Formats: sequence, structure tokens, C-alpha cells
Amino acid sequence: MKITVQRSGGIAGMERVWSVQALTDDDRNQWKPLVEACPWDELPGRAQAGAGGVPQPDRFVYRIRAGQRRATLPERDLVGPWRTLVDCTRAAAESLDQPG
Amino acid sequence: MYCSIIPPYLLRRLAAQHHEPRLLVAARAAKEALQHVKSFQASRAAPVPAAPPGLRQLTPGPPQRTVYDAKASENLPGVLVHKEGEPATGDPAADEAYDGLGSTHRLYAEAFGRNSIDGNGLPLDATVHFGQRYDNAFWDGKQMVFGDGDGQVFNRFTASLSVIGHELAHGVTQFSAGLAYRNQAGALNESLSDVFGALVEQYVKQQSAAEASWLIGEGLFTDQVQGTALRSMKAPGTAYDDDVLGKDPQPDSMDSYVHTSADNGGVHLNSGIPNRAFYLVATALGGKAWETPGRIWYDTVTGGTLPAAATFTVFAKATAASAKELYGAESAEHDAVRRAWETVKVRV
Repeated sequence: MKITVQRSGGIAGMERVWSVQALTDDDRNQWKPLVEACPWDELPGRAQAGAGGVPQPDRFVYRIRAGQRRATLPERDLVGPWRTLVDCTRAAAESLDQPG
Repeated sequence: MYCSIIPPYLLRRLAAQHHEPRLLVAARAAKEALQHVKSFQASRAAPVPAAPPGLRQLTPGPPQRTVYDAKASENLPGVLVHKEGEPATGDPAADEAYDGLGSTHRLYAEAFGRNSIDGNGLPLDATVHFGQRYDNAFWDGKQMVFGDGDGQVFNRFTASLSVIGHELAHGVTQFSAGLAYRNQAGALNESLSDVFGALVEQYVKQQSAAEASWLIGEGLFTDQVQGTALRSMKAPGTAYDDDVLGKDPQPDSMDSYVHTSADNGGVHLNSGIPNRAFYLVATALGGKAWETPGRIWYDTVTGGTLPAAATFTVFAKATAASAKELYGAESAEHDAVRRAWETVKVRV
């Protein structure tokens, strides 16, 4: 399973992408609970606008993909299991970039 | 607000006396007074806009600033660290936020006669040290929020006065035209924040259009980044070109307009097009950019007629109309506005 987080927006308007591949059984056992904990089926109707309906200027927008699942969330809605999934993905991807 | 001392029924009786020569003047005056009463009653029935369009506020008062420290948490507003009138705290982020709020307030008050963000003396609140290594700043609808940067790509976000001005300008847009934060309207919203953010910097330094850098977020990058700023209004697409970050992706005309669903429809990308238009007006006319181009743009966004879903074309036409109203149809100002939009390929 591949997990990708694309972050756009922010005052700098720069796009960042973090990806991890859960290939081994160990990997999948680690990542599957994080993915399953997210309420993929309960996303706000106006995904870009967020729960309040109005985007806050210069906040980030997160596009998350895990296997076949997709979600777009404004930063304000990146809480709980979504936040955990993104933080873990980012940390794992960045540790891969670090020298051994 | 017009209040009638003489009750309307008496005014009507007087107005009806126009056949009586002795009362002709009184009748005319009464008729005129009745017109005022009618329009006053009509406007009372109509919904009151947040700020009456085009109405100059009374002399703006001083700012009411409060700076908070979120102490690396994401709880807002955080701990109060600096109230209006208190001495500097010694924390660079808090002091930069406090000073930047003041400078922004001063531009709006002195150049445009605007009393704070909402035109009505709204207190200016900012939170610094938001989150951990948070590489961003934003307006949350009520206050500004600043991160410390990640130390790799970004320094603290209060280090740039244009960024502070940019965030507060989102508040001004919210309380005036209310441009939707997506697609072209969102790119205009973003551009207005860059325009007025740049003007705050220029106003503090009293720079002319020719002297100004026209850069947004200069000084935010660490030494590791090959770039000077987040954006260039003068030459969109040239602010940075870095091995890791890539190249500044902003378009400088409609020829390279970016169609994307990311970033709420590319609001930070396509803002390059109206940004460049403002820069072109400012340099065509010369002098201090807040005086004429700033006035045209300010009147356009606060005039009360710009729709929340405005496209670039609608906005361009509105700036031309503002220029025409302020300076005349044959003026250098009106001409400069039209030519600027033509240069960036936006139909006027």
C-alpha cells in the first residue's frame, strides 16, 4: 500500500509531497491501523472549504491517498487520526531522506 | 444619519402650500426635507452593509494591538505577552508582530483613512510561536497567526513586514469585498494581500515604485535556499529557483494561467497575474505606489460593488472604472490601468 500526502496552499504557496510504501507485512501491520482509523467515508461535502464552509486564508490544504482511498482536507480539519496519519507519513518520508 | 426635527406630516402640509406665495419658499424647503426623510427611511429598511461604501471614516484612532504566544502549541490565542502601549518584550517574533501590526494600521489610516481592518477600529491581535517548526502564517478570520519556520527552508514568519501586511489585508478583504477564497476570486484575494503587504513595506520606508523591491516575504528563506522571496510582483516566476523547492511557479500573464485543484484552485499561483498588473500601473505612473495605484485598488475593493465571485476581468474592469471616476476618462491613470491589464492579457 502506498500512502501519499500532498500539501498545497500556505502563504508561500509551495507544494510538498511525502510518500511511504508499506510493502512488507510488518509495514502493513504498522500503517493499516493508522489508515483504518481515519473516517474516509465522513468527509465534509465541500472538501476544500472545510467544516466551517469558508477556507481560512493561507492555511494549508492536504490531499491524502492511502491505497485506493482519497481525501482532501483543509488544515483546520486535519485533526485526530488524520493528523496522526499525516504526521507519521511525513516523519517516515523525511527520515528516509536523512543520511544513515 | 438624517433626522427630521419637523415631523413628516407637518412637512407634507407645508409642501402642499406651494400655491400660497408667502409660503412658496417654505413649501419648497419642506418638499426637499421630505425627500431626505424618504431616502432615510428607505435606507433604514435596507440591510446595512458592514461599512458604508465609499464613506470616509472619521479620523482613525490609534491601533489596539495585543500579541499572544502560543508556546509551540496550536491553541489560540495563547498567552498574552504584549498589550498596546507596553514596552518591547525582547522576543523578536512578538516585537516584530507588534511593530508590523502598527505599521499596517498606519498605512490604512494615513493613506486611506481607514480605521483598522474593519474600518471600525477592530482590535489587532496576533499569535506568535504557533505550532512546532510551523512553516506558515495565516489569518483565521479574527486574528493573525505566525509560525517559527522549520529552520531549514524558512525562518520565523514575522521577519517579513510584507507577510504581516499580507495577513492583515485578508482581514480587510473579508470586511469589504469578501472575495471567495478559490479560483480567480481567490487569486484576487491573494493578490490584494500581496499588494497591500508590499505597500506597508514601501510606506514604512517611504519608497517610490521605482525604489521598491516588489518582493513578498523577503528575508523568510534561510541561507540554504536559492531564492530571495516567496513571490515577485515585478517578475512573477523569478522569486526562487532551488534544487529542493523547485522553481517559483507563478504565471505573469493569462498565457500561463495555472489550472489546478490544489491550493483552492491555485490562489497563490495565479495571483501573479493581478500582482504584475498592479506593479505595471505603479511604475507607469511613478511616485509612491500607495498614493494613486493604491487608491484605485483600495476604492475598488471597498467600494461596495465588487462581487465576492469576481473574475480577473470583472476586477480589471472595476479598477478601470475606479480610475475613471477618480481621475477622469482621458487621464494618465485610467490609461495606465487599462494598459497594465492588457499587458497581462486580462480583458478589460
